[in-house]
Amino acid sequence: MKLSTSMNLKAQTKRGLHLSKPLIMALGSALILAACANSPKSPSGAVAARERLVQLQNDPALASRVSVAIREADDAVTAAEVPMKDKVKSDHLVFVATREVDVAWAQAKTRQLEDQRAGLSERRDSERLESRTREADRALDAAAQARADAEAARREIDELNAKETERGLVVTLGDMLFETGNAQLTGNAFANLGKLSNFLNKYPERSLVIEGHTDSVGSESSNQSLSQRRADSVRQYLLQQGVAANRLTAVGKGESYPVASNDSTSGRALNRRVEVIIAK
Amino acid sequence: MTTLTATKKMADCLKPGTSFIALLAGFLFLTACASTPPPTKEISAAEQSMIDAEQARVAQYALPELQEARSKLAAARTAVLNEEMEEAKRLAVEASAGIKFATAKAELAKAEAVNADMQKNIRVLKEEMQRTSGEQQ
Repeated sequence: MKLSTSMNLKAQTKRGLHLSKPLIMALGSALILAACANSPKSPSGAVAARERLVQLQNDPALASRVSVAIREADDAVTAAEVPMKDKVKSDHLVFVATREVDVAWAQAKTRQLEDQRAGLSERRDSERLESRTREADRALDAAAQARADAEAARREIDELNAKETERGLVVTLGDMLFETGNAQLTGNAFANLGKLSNFLNKYPERSLVIEGHTDSVGSESSNQSLSQRRADSVRQYLLQQGVAANRLTAVGKGESYPVASNDSTSGRALNRRVEVIIAK
Repeated sequence: MTTLTATKKMADCLKPGTSFIALLAGFLFLTACASTPPPTKEISAAEQSMIDAEQARVAQYALPELQEARSKLAAARTAVLNEEMEEAKRLAVEASAGIKFATAKAELAKAEAVNADMQKNIRVLKEEMQRTSGEQQ
């Protein structure tokens, strides 16, 4: 027990001696530093370089990117800060220190910009993706719309009882539209023609030719004028429904284009007709 | 400090008249200067970084800085010919520091250009999208 305490004591005194050495050294260097700090001869260029370096070091986001450049700049600034009478050498060291600080700043900003690129390209990619998605959606919408439009048009054409021919869509309006020998439209006509005017108003790019036809009963000239008047009254009706005049042409074809034999009653009934040809 | 006192002493000796010791001292002083080796290492380092900078097209982004360094390097070579070795070394070191900065400045300018381009692309995409979605509405 006794022995160990005395040994401990010895060790403590030894340690105490060891501790005092660096203490003295630290004191010495502190004095030297104080002497340097007190000296007014540190060149103003070096002071300015130190300020800019400290500014960079105090910005952790920037400083962490260029630790090597900062260390080099620090060394150069420290060398320039030493006051000396040799003005040429002092100016030289200040020049080098200033440049090293400039380099550290430029490198730090460069690294920062480089680091921002990941975020930028991510943003660009997401913008591009969104734009593509919207484009695709729009294309899909447009295709769906086109299909729906075509479907609707087909349905309307079916309702008109139109026939596809090489001249276009032909809608045949039977002679029940008119009283015998008369060009006045009957009540029956309106339902059929209403569908036609709806169709025309929906597809304003389509123009049409209205052709009047008769059977062979009566004189050819009277049939010609009757067919023209009937075609005209259909045209007149469509004009009243808001179809533009330049889209409508009315022609009287007389008895020259029968679709059936004029020898039978039923054949003559088929030949008395108005054909509406809708251009494609 | 020591050179200063030496010159002072030399001046003191010269004043009363030419003495042998003064002459000897002066001679030794001159030979000391002449025997300082040329700063080959510093000059070739500056030359190498100049070549690197030229290859990296630094002149495109930091022409004045590079030109300043180039003339310092030329001045360093002249100083060697004039046997002003200390001056030559300083000039070579300053040239190197100048080239280093010019290079860093050029790198920064390049990085700025790349980022600006990326930002522009994003803006164009955004505007395009706003325009087309505006058309749709």
